[in-house]
Amino acid sequence: MRGELGMPVYFTEHEIVVPGQLLSDNGKRSGEGTYAYAGKIYAARIGFASIRGNKVVVTPFKTAYKPAPGDWVVGIVSDVKPNGFEIDLGRHLKGVIRMPDREEVMSAGLNVGDVVYVRIKESGLSGVAIDKRSRIRRIESGILIQIHPAKVPRLIGRRGSMINMIKRITGCDIIVGKNGLIVINGPSPEAEFAAVKAIKMIEEEAHTSGLTERIEKLLRGLIGEG
Amino acid sequence: MSRPERLIDDNGRRVDGRRPDELRPIKMEVGVLDKSDGSAYVEFGGTKVIAAVFGPREAHPRHLALPDRAILNCRYHMTSFSVEERKPLGMTRREIELSKVIREALETVTFLEEFPRAAIDVYVEVIQADGGTRTAGLTAASLALADAGMPMADLIAAVAVGKVDGQLVLDLCDLEDKYGEADMPVAMAPRFNSIIMLQLNGRMSVEEFKRSLALAQKGISEIYHLQREALKKKFSELAPKEA
Amino acid sequence: MALTPKKDLTAKIMRDKIYSLLLQGKRIDGRRPTDLRPIKIETGLLSKAEGSALVSMGSTKILTGIKVEVGAPFPDRPDEGTFTVNAELLPLASASFEPGPPDERGIELARVVDRSLREGGVIDLKKLCLIEGEKVYVLFIDIYVLDYDGNYFDPSLISALAALATAKIPRYEIVDGKPQKTDEYFSLELNSLPFTATVGVIGEKFLLDPQLEEEKVLDVSLVVGADERGDITCVQKNSPGQIPIELMDSIIDAVIEKTGEIRRKFLQEVPVKLAGST
Repeated sequence: MRGELGMPVYFTEHEIVVPGQLLSDNGKRSGEGTYAYAGKIYAARIGFASIRGNKVVVTPFKTAYKPAPGDWVVGIVSDVKPNGFEIDLGRHLKGVIRMPDREEVMSAGLNVGDVVYVRIKESGLSGVAIDKRSRIRRIESGILIQIHPAKVPRLIGRRGSMINMIKRITGCDIIVGKNGLIVINGPSPEAEFAAVKAIKMIEEEAHTSGLTERIEKLLRGLIGEG
Repeated sequence: MSRPERLIDDNGRRVDGRRPDELRPIKMEVGVLDKSDGSAYVEFGGTKVIAAVFGPREAHPRHLALPDRAILNCRYHMTSFSVEERKPLGMTRREIELSKVIREALETVTFLEEFPRAAIDVYVEVIQADGGTRTAGLTAASLALADAGMPMADLIAAVAVGKVDGQLVLDLCDLEDKYGEADMPVAMAPRFNSIIMLQLNGRMSVEEFKRSLALAQKGISEIYHLQREALKKKFSELAPKEA
Repeated sequence: MALTPKKDLTAKIMRDKIYSLLLQGKRIDGRRPTDLRPIKIETGLLSKAEGSALVSMGSTKILTGIKVEVGAPFPDRPDEGTFTVNAELLPLASASFEPGPPDERGIELARVVDRSLREGGVIDLKKLCLIEGEKVYVLFIDIYVLDYDGNYFDPSLISALAALATAKIPRYEIVDGKPQKTDEYFSLELNSLPFTATVGVIGEKFLLDPQLEEEKVLDVSLVVGADERGDITCVQKNSPGQIPIELMDSIIDAVIEKTGEIRRKFLQEVPVKLAGST
């Protein structure tokens, strides 16, 4: 198969590839999820192989969240220090909100165990810094669940189509962190369960087709038509 | 169990009826546990192992973390009832040694630089032992790492070859391991044709050693194929359910 | 020395949510307060273990194996076989289980299962004597937690009982005053089936079979066991915290009902020989 790159690629679009699988002979076009060795491109992770731009990429099914500046994430306050807060962003990630002095720390009014919705300022060798100039929103109630960060784009959908459908049918307010932590608040327990079920199903079936229709069917069945 | 009179009969059949270059029936399933980030279950005949991966996650204790890459921890462990004579609780010296060689193999193919200051924890638990537990364990650990979405250069496939009654055989079972003349666990990254783990217990001539490696390679390419199928099956099995 | 363990970080909103749902008789996974998760039991899966059982309760999975040896009896019970229970919370099972020797949780689990079996007189140990005062059957019941989504007590006891019920004990005979293994096997008759139900208390409400998210927010956790006669066979309050004494009546009622449910499921799935039934 000759891809857009004008050289042979050894996979079909959306084929599931495994680490070590040979993808292409042009080592210069190695993208996310791949690596180049001796002039060839191999998959580094299990996922879908495709050509994006002029690179061969593998979109992994599961991947640890890599914080990027500007990302909005959900976290739990894990430590309060004189110079700021430590926020648990799930699994091994901790973000830090630096405050210039104790007064600001006190007036922020955050305690260990509080759930917050915050924005990543930067992430590098010295850790993950959280932007304190964007509003640090403390979430007062709801069900907190966690999905694989890799599935968040599918949960959001193209231009928010999937998440908005879930919100509309269930009537729930849903905050989705790019790190895979999600808070759901609904008008009733049934509405909340329905949203949780839908989100878990999307996590399981993110890579299948016809998902939007199935989710809508699931929700209508749980909530009722109209 | 006492030594059978012969480990290979006149027809070239081994104690379990196999020919010298035959693998035992192999079963692989990926994603068998819910709480770990990746997991796999592997059977080589009567040997049954489960592997689970947690990571990347915070390194404990913190001072062991490395600034430029993740550390990989590995624990190979056997349940008390995996063997004929009950194995008491706690880590034996053998388990500690095998944890090391398995860890070193996994470190070789995992792109640890992607997760500075983090730890990747790999646990291999042998629930039934019938020879080749470390090779089955490494095969399972490699699948579990892939299942967890770890970036790797290649999967690792492993098998034990050996010498019984003067003949070279593939995929030793427990009897052959106990009463044969040599036992050689081999692991490879098949994509690169490179050896990732290698040990020899016993003695062989140089000629036999070379032939054993070739025999291991043959078995490993079959195992590699099964690993890739098991991984693809897990993710393509999530076909649309009827809502 | 017992140290306060490092607690898993919990979101306060989850405690609020779980409690407010419980006040309405609901739980985050759709169960009612005393509903148990689905239980699956598989036995006889390991050939080198004389008995084995894999039990799952929801996503929590426990594997128990039984090894049999011949050894000396306890000096004060010369005509009885012996058994010991060990448990390991394997690091495979949870991000919060660390490798190493069993910690206080693993030891507590083993001892609680041991008491349920021992005080309940489940095994007729007199039938496991070979030479009085010298040689008896020694059973090792080893429990491994493989996957942890809350509540390892109940499925551990179920798997221990299932492994015992389906165990094939190699028969030894005395030859020249020494025990010799024969080619025969026998199975154990169980005198009773005491099961446990783990109870989680939040405020003045309680639930049964907590899953992990619920366990993290409980005020108190309590394991209570009952047998087929309706007698209480085991109690272990296994966390800090206070239990309002008025709750105990309804907790006991719920435990008796639910252990009965577990027993019915067990009898359906496991071919168990009950003493006095033949």
